[in-house]
Amino acid sequence: MNENELIKLILQGERDKFRIFVEKYQQLVFRTCIGFVHNKEDADDLTQEVFIQAYQSLPDFKMKSAFSTWLYRIAVNASLNKVRKSAGTSFIQRLESFFIAENKKNSLLTATDTDDPENIIIKKEHSQWLQKALDSLPENQRTAIVLSKYDDLSQKEIAEVMNTTEGAVEALLQRAKKNLREKLSPGREKNNK
Amino acid sequence: MNCQLCQENLEAYQEGRLSSGMTTQVESHLKTCDSCKKLSEIQILVSRVMSVEKETDADPFLATRVMAQIERLDAERKENTPLGARILRPSLITLSLAAAVLFGIMLGNLSRPAGNYGKVPLELALINDASLESVDILSLE
Repeated sequence: MNENELIKLILQGERDKFRIFVEKYQQLVFRTCIGFVHNKEDADDLTQEVFIQAYQSLPDFKMKSAFSTWLYRIAVNASLNKVRKSAGTSFIQRLESFFIAENKKNSLLTATDTDDPENIIIKKEHSQWLQKALDSLPENQRTAIVLSKYDDLSQKEIAEVMNTTEGAVEALLQRAKKNLREKLSPGREKNNK
Repeated sequence: MNCQLCQENLEAYQEGRLSSGMTTQVESHLKTCDSCKKLSEIQILVSRVMSVEKETDADPFLATRVMAQIERLDAERKENTPLGARILRPSLITLSLAAAVLFGIMLGNLSRPAGNYGKVPLELALINDASLESVDILSLE
């Protein structure tokens, strides 16, 4: 039975069949969400919310795209909404966490064995520091980076999810990587050797 | 190789996607440029953080939680629809449709040209049947 037939059965009242979709796509949705929120608990809650939204919006799914593409869109929108709400935290809290992340940036490197990157221990503050850098990107650049790096989607697949062209996705990824380099660069000096 | 070119190729270098010539150039530059070397180390760290996050597993009980919540939402939706609304709404819809059909028929009747029945021509209106002679008188000749 293909996915469209399964959807028809669910819409006819066989609600339990929706579990098949949840089990099949839960890791995909979770990976997308954690790319935005960088926290397992938040990502789990968001993943649950995405599937509830998908179930409630199932009558609106026109089957013109793959179910996974549609699910990615719901996951991205839910994640961006969550991030926007979190951005409403107090100014002082954000300032504090910004300076903590900045101070830790250099100490992260000196404290670890930089001769062998494979031995670098990933700590919670690493995630927060990466989150700061990713959060500073415009939403469309952040979405493209998450879909590329966390979901390993091709540019064509990203274009389908974001409802844009492959060329636009390529440009977004280039700009996002450039912006990330600038954010992460430790007091970059432009030495053109 | 300058810093800009090196930094643009760092990701590809770390993923092993550069040609051997370019790889050699990037490696030579990294040996002499502290700034690019640090950026390279930071990018490796970023990749590691992303890999760790990607490899994190979703809650194993997620499907059960989702289905339980869906069941709750469906039950709440049924409870919140009162009996009156369940009967009243279909009845109202039926009545509205019937009224629309009747209204359409009335509109159609209004647009029809009026028939001659009930409207007597002027000449006949002047004739009083009660005072006319009987036709039988004419046939007796």
